[in-house]
Amino acid sequence: MKQARTIAIRTIGFLAVAAVAAAILVPPIEAKREERRIRAMLLIVQEGLQNYHVDEEIYPRRMMKGGELVFFLEGEGFLEGGVSNPWTGEPYGEGADPDWLRYRTDALAETYELIVTEPDGETVRFRLDSTENQSLE
Amino acid sequence: MGNFRYSFAINSWLLQIYRLSVLVLIAWLVRSHHDRLRVQGDWPITVAEVREFLPDAHRLRVDPGPRGGLFVHDSAGQEIGYAVRTMPHSRDIIGYSGPSDVLVVFDEEDLGRGISIRHSYDTPSHVEDVTLDLLFMESWNGRAWKAISEITDMNEAEIYAVSGATRTSEAVMQSVTHRLAVAEGRESEVTSFSPGRRDGALVAFLLGGCLFAFRKEKQVQKLRWIYSLATIGMLGFWLGDLIAQSLMVGWMESRVPWEATPGLVVFVAAAFLLPWFTKQPVYCQFICPHGNLQRWTRGLLPAGWKRPLPEDGKWIGRWIPAMLLAVVLGVSFLQLDLDLAGIEPFDAYLVKSAGVATIVVAVVGLAISFFFPMAYCKFGCPTGWLLEFVRRRAGKDRFGERDWVGLGLVGIALVLYLVPPEWILG
Repeated sequence: MKQARTIAIRTIGFLAVAAVAAAILVPPIEAKREERRIRAMLLIVQEGLQNYHVDEEIYPRRMMKGGELVFFLEGEGFLEGGVSNPWTGEPYGEGADPDWLRYRTDALAETYELIVTEPDGETVRFRLDSTENQSLE
Repeated sequence: MGNFRYSFAINSWLLQIYRLSVLVLIAWLVRSHHDRLRVQGDWPITVAEVREFLPDAHRLRVDPGPRGGLFVHDSAGQEIGYAVRTMPHSRDIIGYSGPSDVLVVFDEEDLGRGISIRHSYDTPSHVEDVTLDLLFMESWNGRAWKAISEITDMNEAEIYAVSGATRTSEAVMQSVTHRLAVAEGRESEVTSFSPGRRDGALVAFLLGGCLFAFRKEKQVQKLRWIYSLATIGMLGFWLGDLIAQSLMVGWMESRVPWEATPGLVVFVAAAFLLPWFTKQPVYCQFICPHGNLQRWTRGLLPAGWKRPLPEDGKWIGRWIPAMLLAVVLGVSFLQLDLDLAGIEPFDAYLVKSAGVATIVVAVVGLAISFFFPMAYCKFGCPTGWLLEFVRRRAGKDRFGERDWVGLGLVGIALVLYLVPPEWILG
């Protein structure tokens, strides 16, 4: 009886310690997964923008949220379908929520800027543009 | 631990060699993994890519040296060439709209076999133009690494830009020459041995610890309280050089900076080797400022307030450092954004720069030690666990619980080393 109690206490204790270790590891693993999905999505969107630029000689003129931009580029044939929203895993398109990617261009639409922010909408997480931050490496 | 069921007797020196080997193997796996990440980056070179230029390529081996590329081996294990990618070194060399990652392959005589554009942030149609221009793509063939790295004038070297994709092809050229030149430059880097006062202080603390560990005369031991306070004040709060997971993982991932901080290197090496040779836990028992601070708390509360920890509690507590070490391995191998300084109390001694997590661990650990003497050392410290793991035991030694846990940690490191990160990180 005493031995069974000891085994039960130790098993529960061991599992509790393992759970705490897992609780320490899981959030950064999730963050890393999300980061990898965002990076992959950014490279796809960037390629779509460059294809658009080759044809039109300018970048899309208006500011857009990520889903809107993907919808636009897919519709115009500069991007193959099937881009996933990195925050949800759902198809990325107009009205995607949450959507922390912002696209903008200059007055002459000669440059582009893809910015991914933290959920606060201000802290920049990733920036890919045609002037200074041309790669994610 | 004494009644552990799966322990067995074994020659004590064999056991000591096993214990040291466990640590060395884990350190090697971490180092090798990070060499691979450094060389391969976000877009690892595959054998299939290299086979396009060296059809007998069978295996790629990371070169941790200054060239930072990959040795190419055939199926017999013979070295048949060398491969290198230009990113991330050439990320600032922009073509029309972005940099390109170029694969450069050499044969066993260090002569170029060919290049290919692996991935590009540049305009796709321009990249395609460059890729299809065989005259340009093959203009590197037969040239030696050193010769390419010294090219400054492309026309003089008879390498001509691709018409219609001039900027992209020029960027590809510059990426290749820059990448190879960077490696050549690094080969001539000289590291100078530069010990300072800080190193001297660390060695002095080490010698002090040895003095109190090995000289048991009363006249010597009665001075120990002064040394103990000095470790807290000077080694802890002033120097801040406590042995911690964040320090050791940093060294394993990059390299041991023996020429820049020789005192600290000697200090850490001695912390492991002294208990391994002599059975004396010199660092944990005599030098560690946090251990000494806990020793000072022992006498502050009335004896009746202290609680003995039940056996089951001790058994469970002993898993805490082992689990933390598993966390450390996970963070290092998967490059997770988790500051390892926060899982130990040692950075709290650097008061100005300490994070919240390390301060919480330090304060809570100390508070608990009022009631359960030396609780953090016994049940919370992953660094102490490693130092205790290698310590030679008095009397007849056995392969016991700790040794199995050590084997488990090697297993975790091996899995994280062998399993492609995308299996875990998506």
